[in-house]
Amino acid sequence: MKTLRYILLRLLQAVPVLLGVSIVTFALMVATPGDPIRLLVGDRATPETIALIRDRYGLDDPILAQYVTYLRNLLQGDLGASLRYRVPVSQLIAQHYPVTLFLVIYTIVLTLPPVIALSVWSARRQSGVADQVIRLLGVVGLAVPVFWLALLFARFFGVTLGWFPVSGFGNSFGEHLLHLFLPALSTMIWVVPILVRNLRSALLDEMNRDYVLTGLSKGLGERQVFRTHVFPNSILPTLNLFAVIVAYLLGGSVIVETVYAVPGMGKLMVESILARDYFVVQGATLVFALTTILVMLAVDLLSTAIDPRLSP
Amino acid sequence: MSALLRVQGLSVRFGSTVAVDDVSFELERGAALGIVGESGSGKSVTCRALLRLLPRSARIDGRAAFEGRDLLALPEPELNRIRGKRIAMIFQTPASHLDPLMRIGDQVAETLRKHTEMRGRALREEVLRLLDVVRIPDPDRWARAYPHQLSGGMKQRAMIAGALACQPDLLLADEPTTALDATVQKSVLELLAQLRRERNLSMIFVSHDLGAVAQVCDDLLVMRRARLVESGPVRRVVAAPRHAYTAQLIASHPDRLEAAPPAALSGAPPLVEAKGVQVRYGSRTLADLIAGREGGFIAVEEADFSVSPGESLGIVGESGSGKSTLARALVGLVRPRKGTLVFDGAPADPAGPGRIALLREMQLVYQHPYEALSPRLTVHAAIAEPLRRHRLCPRGAVDERVRELMAQVDLAPELAARLPGQLSGGQCQRVAIARALAFDPRVLIADEVTSALDVTLQAQVLGLLSRLQRERGLTMIFISHDLSLIRRLCNSVIVMRRGRIVEAGATAAVFDAPREDYTRELIAAMPHLEGSAA
Repeated sequence: MKTLRYILLRLLQAVPVLLGVSIVTFALMVATPGDPIRLLVGDRATPETIALIRDRYGLDDPILAQYVTYLRNLLQGDLGASLRYRVPVSQLIAQHYPVTLFLVIYTIVLTLPPVIALSVWSARRQSGVADQVIRLLGVVGLAVPVFWLALLFARFFGVTLGWFPVSGFGNSFGEHLLHLFLPALSTMIWVVPILVRNLRSALLDEMNRDYVLTGLSKGLGERQVFRTHVFPNSILPTLNLFAVIVAYLLGGSVIVETVYAVPGMGKLMVESILARDYFVVQGATLVFALTTILVMLAVDLLSTAIDPRLSP
Repeated sequence: MSALLRVQGLSVRFGSTVAVDDVSFELERGAALGIVGESGSGKSVTCRALLRLLPRSARIDGRAAFEGRDLLALPEPELNRIRGKRIAMIFQTPASHLDPLMRIGDQVAETLRKHTEMRGRALREEVLRLLDVVRIPDPDRWARAYPHQLSGGMKQRAMIAGALACQPDLLLADEPTTALDATVQKSVLELLAQLRRERNLSMIFVSHDLGAVAQVCDDLLVMRRARLVESGPVRRVVAAPRHAYTAQLIASHPDRLEAAPPAALSGAPPLVEAKGVQVRYGSRTLADLIAGREGGFIAVEEADFSVSPGESLGIVGESGSGKSTLARALVGLVRPRKGTLVFDGAPADPAGPGRIALLREMQLVYQHPYEALSPRLTVHAAIAEPLRRHRLCPRGAVDERVRELMAQVDLAPELAARLPGQLSGGQCQRVAIARALAFDPRVLIADEVTSALDVTLQAQVLGLLSRLQRERGLTMIFISHDLSLIRRLCNSVIVMRRGRIVEAGATAAVFDAPREDYTRELIAAMPHLEGSAA
């Protein structure tokens, strides 16, 4: 009951956030140079045609009035229609969103095992050879730009070796896995080092806690103390960082999806910005914001489930 | 009968530092041995070395034969069959020695799961029985609770329950009562003494408090600077110490300190007066506002008291009784929700505009000396800071004034360039006192200034405070959970419980004829050197 009230409260708090996001994106799109109608009708249209279309889309109204109209439609669940594709924005999002979600979850699934294995390995032998090598590789992983790595991977695994397709999304689950492997891998390269550093230092902190001594004094042995006490206590700080990273992955999808031509939200977003497709950009941003809010909420709930001291 | 544990030539080194130097002792089955000494004397390290619970950097030499088997040479898996099963250990701060994410019942069960075949229902029932043995009320409920939901005393009991689970032969108790309130300490000590009697449990009890050791143990080891300086039966050592350090340790016990309350200026109008002070933490929520409630949590309720110039007032109470909050309200660190303060005949608002002027007259010294000093300011800079900030003396005279203040608190001049991390706890506390004195205040509020210090340092700091009081005519408000200190230092005393002042009056009157049961309980809980061994 208490948890339910907490969730409800958090969702209520999300409303002003979403409102703020809509205002900012709306203002940004209005302030960006370039005329969507020009892009829409091409160079040869007469000024009369342009004026007609501008009027039809309400682009001549005062900006505030445009925003109010947009907000009113939004409340009715209408995200507007794409200027470019002439289909409802919601339909475009429904088409592209699952792809990005698949990519993000795929990246997470690929990321977690190495993160746990590497941080436990380096924490248990602090300053050992493995620890140093892992740290060094981590720095390299962080330093290499994602888009460049993505290009290299595409060239090497995709073209030279031909192991993986270098673009698209595929049609079945198995194909999805295959198509998105390289995008997920190139994203993972920079996510893993961040999480490893964080989890490793949390593990080292927790290994020096007093309760470790208690566990050893009970005769549990180092392995068991590590498994049952140290590890669960180390998860929390990393979990919070993880939430931030997931939000980042959503935004980061722009890069990998562009490089690998994955038909996801990131690609939709970039193309819509270039085409001045106002409503699509706004709708996509709102969906990104909402997803981020939900991820944060989920992580907070998970944290309270792990740590009884953080009651909602 | 052969000894249960025979330790010969135990030495522990951390790099080039010798933490324990050639310590030998024997423990008979069913006997209880106390190890006392100040912090850094190696008493805890000795205790932990027996179960090899030291960091890897420690080098342990010597022999510790437990029933003939050398604990220091056993391979790890075999040692793990002794740890927890034959030799169990309890620690100083139960709060940090329990896993915050695990239910109390599961932590007690851990030992049983490891060393016995007990599972499921039988295991659960055994855990409940153990919690009952250590006198945790309503075991069924508390077994399901998490450590942060338990009070300090209950946590320590839960830890004892976990240690007793496999009916060990030897219990190593590392300062098990130091972090606890007097009344809780008393009950834990009683529990340990009772377990000794009923289960024939052998015990090694490490503490810096001779009084606590005297209540549980029959034999005593005194350690200083990694070495054993004296050993023998508790009564003999207390009555006739052979080593000068032991004599000093005994003389420093609050029981033996000179009573030195200053003569109060009778008839003078009170210097500090509090009327109906109420402090609440937390704010009013919307629901409180609608229901017309005050909201929050009451830390201090309707406190009235007054201190005359030159007087020293003691405030006692357990942790959570609101005594520190009251002190904080006096210097404006928390804002009272209600009530007024009068300083020197004029109304004062310590949290308001006149704050700085008031703080020059009234200074607070904090409990934890290391935390009260910035780790990156040298002693000189720490003491000079208020002088510069408040322009308390001409710029050119600051150095001279700092030297003067350091001399007043018996700090050697060469310490001026040190950082707090390079000082002992007692030295840090002196720096904090010197910093407070820099204001040349009329009132000094000492908030548990000695509770983080060893007895010998505690005696020194108390001596310093009473000397300063005599020399400068300071008015003191002395907050402590230790009644024996209050009794020796203060003219009058306030007893607080759950935010209320339950009893107040002249020290002698309150101690000799307490009116409240709670005060009586507190007085009875004072550990004495002459306590009988169980």
